Amino acid sequence: MSSIRKRSRVVDVLLRVLPSVVIFALCLVAWELWVNIRDVPAYLYPSPSDIGKELRDEGLSLAVDDLRWTMTEAVLGFLLGSAVALFTGIVFVHAKFLERVFFPWAIVLQTVPIVAVAPLLTIWFGFTLTPKVLIAALICFFPVLVNATKGLRSISSQAVELMSILSASKWSLFWRVRIPSSLPYVFAGLKVASTLSVIGAIVAEFTGADRGIGFVIIQASYRLDTRLMFAGIALSSAAGVVFFNIIGALERLALRWPDARLDR
Amino acid sequence: MTSSGGIAIEGVSKQFGGSQGVTALDGIDLNISGGEFVAIVGPSGCGKSTLLRIVGGLLEPTSGHVYVGGKTSGQARRDVEFGFVFQQPTLFPWLRVLGNVLLPDRVLGRRNPNNGPNSKDIAQELLRDVGLEGFEDHYPGQISGGMQQRVALARALSYGPNTLLMDEPFGALDEFTRDRLNLQLLEVCNKTGSTVLFVTHSIQEAIFLADRVVMLSPRPGRITRVAEVPFPKPRTLEIRYEPGFAALAGELRGLLVGDDDIELAMNQP
Ligand SMILES: Nc1ncnc2c1ncn2[C@@H]1O[C@H](COP(=O)(O)OP(=O)(O)O)[C@@H](O)[C@H]1O
Ligand SMILES: [Mg+2]
Repeated sequence: MSSIRKRSRVVDVLLRVLPSVVIFALCLVAWELWVNIRDVPAYLYPSPSDIGKELRDEGLSLAVDDLRWTMTEAVLGFLLGSAVALFTGIVFVHAKFLERVFFPWAIVLQTVPIVAVAPLLTIWFGFTLTPKVLIAALICFFPVLVNATKGLRSISSQAVELMSILSASKWSLFWRVRIPSSLPYVFAGLKVASTLSVIGAIVAEFTGADRGIGFVIIQASYRLDTRLMFAGIALSSAAGVVFFNIIGALERLALRWPDARLDR
Repeated sequence: MTSSGGIAIEGVSKQFGGSQGVTALDGIDLNISGGEFVAIVGPSGCGKSTLLRIVGGLLEPTSGHVYVGGKTSGQARRDVEFGFVFQQPTLFPWLRVLGNVLLPDRVLGRRNPNNGPNSKDIAQELLRDVGLEGFEDHYPGQISGGMQQRVALARALSYGPNTLLMDEPFGALDEFTRDRLNLQLLEVCNKTGSTVLFVTHSIQEAIFLADRVVMLSPRPGRITRVAEVPFPKPRTLEIRYEPGFAALAGELRGLLVGDDDIELAMNQP
């Protein structure tokens, strides 16, 4: 009974991802054919099979030496940016005045081009972990803040009245009502942030690093080593997808009730 | 359960939005004795919800006073003497049915007279009373609107409040569900001896449930009539076919037929 159910769930998942896998495979085939038929220079446009070879030869060392580093930066930045954003959202919801004062600055923070801020941070902090984590945190901050604020506000006036009839404390209202009703929004924000954090880390590495996928890509570009560049791109996006899905799995664990997840 | 204290509403008025604002209620006087079931009827916008919120200590009147069992309504609210059933079920979607009924217990802790090792049993018994046995582990999103409203009723009763305030709780339900819930409500109230203030826009429902029916007129909300309902309790659905029932319903309906309230009166079942 349970094995049947399990198998059918596996089949379900396969069927769900199959279309996107097929499209991806078709694109690779078209790319491969185009490179071969047009006879374009391989050092400019490497074929998927060349990139595959590169990944086979270099993938492991890239993953261990550089991707691990980049993802450490991304995850730390994600945690820092999301935590600060959640805290700020909680403050905003309890003090409208502070929101009026500081939200415009949150927008400014969001519109500041991070490619311009990253070199600054590198000047200040050197080739260390810090500027990368800060850039990843910066890029994660806004989507989590906007979603958390919206979620914390998503309670109905009747829910507040119900808690008031129960003579509940502000604390109780916060933990029993505001926090759970904000979770669907918070997770929507965290999922966006999880993908952005990898981008943030890589951009920060461009401006000064001695390891990491961003460092590998920028070094490879000086040598016109497009194969290695593509290998780096492939690895970092694969890691981003994995990170996104880990957050998605946490979301499924946390949001068990029907229609809880916003993007379904 | 002990019989609860009454409600004294003394000269209650409520204006919204400053001096030139809407006068929602104007000089409401009403005395409700402990254990009495009073229904408030009026067209929408006449201040029924506002009155209920003022009685429940959720809203301050512009002038006048409300005493519940000798306390101000604010004090009575802080002492958790009210059960409130809103027009929408207002369940928490992340809690299962049983969890929603147990919410007051979780919030109140030792302040809940039913708190203790068997508070879960009490919640389960209440769910049985409102006909929801076997749905304890469903989420609100998995049951119908009528069932959700019954969960809300069980939740309001779960901590044994002296006074039940109900704001058109069955307004959105179909007739059959509504009949069944009306019967269940009478049964439960008979058991607990709570004082009930029940808002509805259905004259039929009001007469069927209440010991007294209070008619409210709109803009500004004023009491136009307080009618005793002559049928003894316990009641069955059949009383609705007695001549006295139709006569009283007709009489009260006549009060509603003002200038722009004709449509509402025509729509009454
Ligand atoms: N919070 C509020 N602010 C301003 N006006 C309100 C508010 N609540 C109710 N009113 C007004 O008071 C009047 C009575 O409202 P309400 O008590 O909800 O009526 P009912 O429940 O009988 O339909 C309406 O005209 C409504 O617009
Ligand atoms: Mg109303």
